[in-house]
Amino acid sequence: MLTVRVIASKVLFRIVMVVLAVIYGFPLAWMVLSSFKSNRETFRNPLALPTSIDLGVWADAWRIGNLGRYALNSALVTTATVVLILTLAGLAAYAFSRFEFGGSSLLLGLLLAGLLMPLQSYFVAQSELFDALGLKDTRWALILPYTAMGLPLAVYLLKAFLDGLPGELFDAARLDGCGDVRMFTALVLPLLRPGLATVAIFSALNAWNEFLLALLYISDDELKTLPTGLLAFSSRYTTDYQLLFSALSIVTLPMVAVYVAFHRQVTAGLTEGAVR
Amino acid sequence: MRARRRSTPYLLVAPALLLFGAIVLVPIGLTAGFSFFRWDGLGPFEAIGLRNYRRAIGDDIFRSSFVHAAIYIGITIVLEVVVGMALAGLLTARRRGGMFFRVAFFVPVLLPMVVIAVLWSFVYNPDMGLLNGALERFGLDSLTRIWLGDPDTALVAISVVSGWVFAGFYMAIFYAAFQQIPRDVLEAAALDGAGGVRAWWHVKVPMARRAVEVALLLCITGGFQSFDLFYVLTNGGPYNSTEIPTTYLVKVVFRNREVGYGSAMAVILTAVVLVVGLAYSRLRAPQPRTA
Repeated sequence: MLTVRVIASKVLFRIVMVVLAVIYGFPLAWMVLSSFKSNRETFRNPLALPTSIDLGVWADAWRIGNLGRYALNSALVTTATVVLILTLAGLAAYAFSRFEFGGSSLLLGLLLAGLLMPLQSYFVAQSELFDALGLKDTRWALILPYTAMGLPLAVYLLKAFLDGLPGELFDAARLDGCGDVRMFTALVLPLLRPGLATVAIFSALNAWNEFLLALLYISDDELKTLPTGLLAFSSRYTTDYQLLFSALSIVTLPMVAVYVAFHRQVTAGLTEGAVR
Repeated sequence: MRARRRSTPYLLVAPALLLFGAIVLVPIGLTAGFSFFRWDGLGPFEAIGLRNYRRAIGDDIFRSSFVHAAIYIGITIVLEVVVGMALAGLLTARRRGGMFFRVAFFVPVLLPMVVIAVLWSFVYNPDMGLLNGALERFGLDSLTRIWLGDPDTALVAISVVSGWVFAGFYMAIFYAAFQQIPRDVLEAAALDGAGGVRAWWHVKVPMARRAVEVALLLCITGGFQSFDLFYVLTNGGPYNSTEIPTTYLVKVVFRNREVGYGSAMAVILTAVVLVVGLAYSRLRAPQPRTA
């Protein structure tokens, strides 16, 4: 009796999970499958499977949609943002965690207030400021705010990480004659590596996916990142569904592949970043 | 620890603080300042006191944008937080496995919102969409709709997409929290006959209280700040039925060029987010003991 119940509950569990996964994965699977169907086929029956798989359309979408250009822009903006966040936040976290200095709690509080402030509290004036400074339609118009927005959480997490390290390590290094700068390069940086990796993951994803500022600050098509570029593409070719399904697939699949390879770090990075 | 040189710590924090100050703090101050002026972004400033705020409070679209945000938050608490909690419960009901599902459910969280929004605009498309196609296939033609073009369904349709994206995110949070629950507590519950659903609701969820609180806070404050999905799917339409504070704010500032009025709306929205966030964290903070 008991074993029957156990087996029954196991089977039920499997069925529930599979049904959920199918419902969940359906839109993404439909996206990829539809990219292999002509518009006429999709109209006739949106649920039918494609009759053949032709990657030529993906190549067309890549070319017509200027996706290479958008991907390059996203890569440049994301790389610059991550490097800046890691450098600036690493240095600041080191100072806040390890040194006693006048005004430190005030300065830290100022920075951490950024954890609470929504984007909406500053983008109106930021936009006018960037207009006045001639920063709009340059990559800096994205790199600077992405970095500034990322700093509070990065400093917070890195400081917490450094606070957790034993103080004796630093005292010993000091006794060995380690200066402030060498302490950072020789001791802090290597120890901080896991924390830096977490910060890099969510900073990179945020920069790669950010939409609102990219929409408002960049109108030159040659500088658009993937989100705004894709939107521009989709409004130029509103009804060429096959082309758009292909473009969406091209953007989605590499991200899924990277995620599957590093899913542990990515999930941890994103949830830690949010829960803090 | 003391720095060798007094200036060292200041030099270390200066780059981060200067950048943050110039790019975020100064614009926060300026936005608040603009809110007391009539300004089109080019011409002269005209000081008008609190008139922008009075106008915002009397603006039907602005007021209803908060109602829409509240409805959206209510739906997404169920579709994101509760569903995420249920998924995590399912995945921790068995000792092993579940890795595949954990990875699969999390995938939408990573993707750019624009990709998701364009994809779902096709799912909801009345002519070739997946949803109407599936309904017709099952003989439910009468249920087919122009999902995003109908004021009665548009807001719910958008909330469903949001649920599809973020349920996996909350699942990850609750999964981590449920894993922290000591094994013997769950075993004791199982011995008392609390299996499956009852163990989930009476043991796991209450023991993950902190995660529940964080999830609700994120869902509520995040809900007021949403933009991407709404902008791409409906941009506030049809007939302002999905207008939320940020889509309206962007129209007022960037289409109508009413920078002062938009700033006042931005300040109000910020205040709502901060008050909700702070009130919430005050509520759940342990009461200080009086000696």
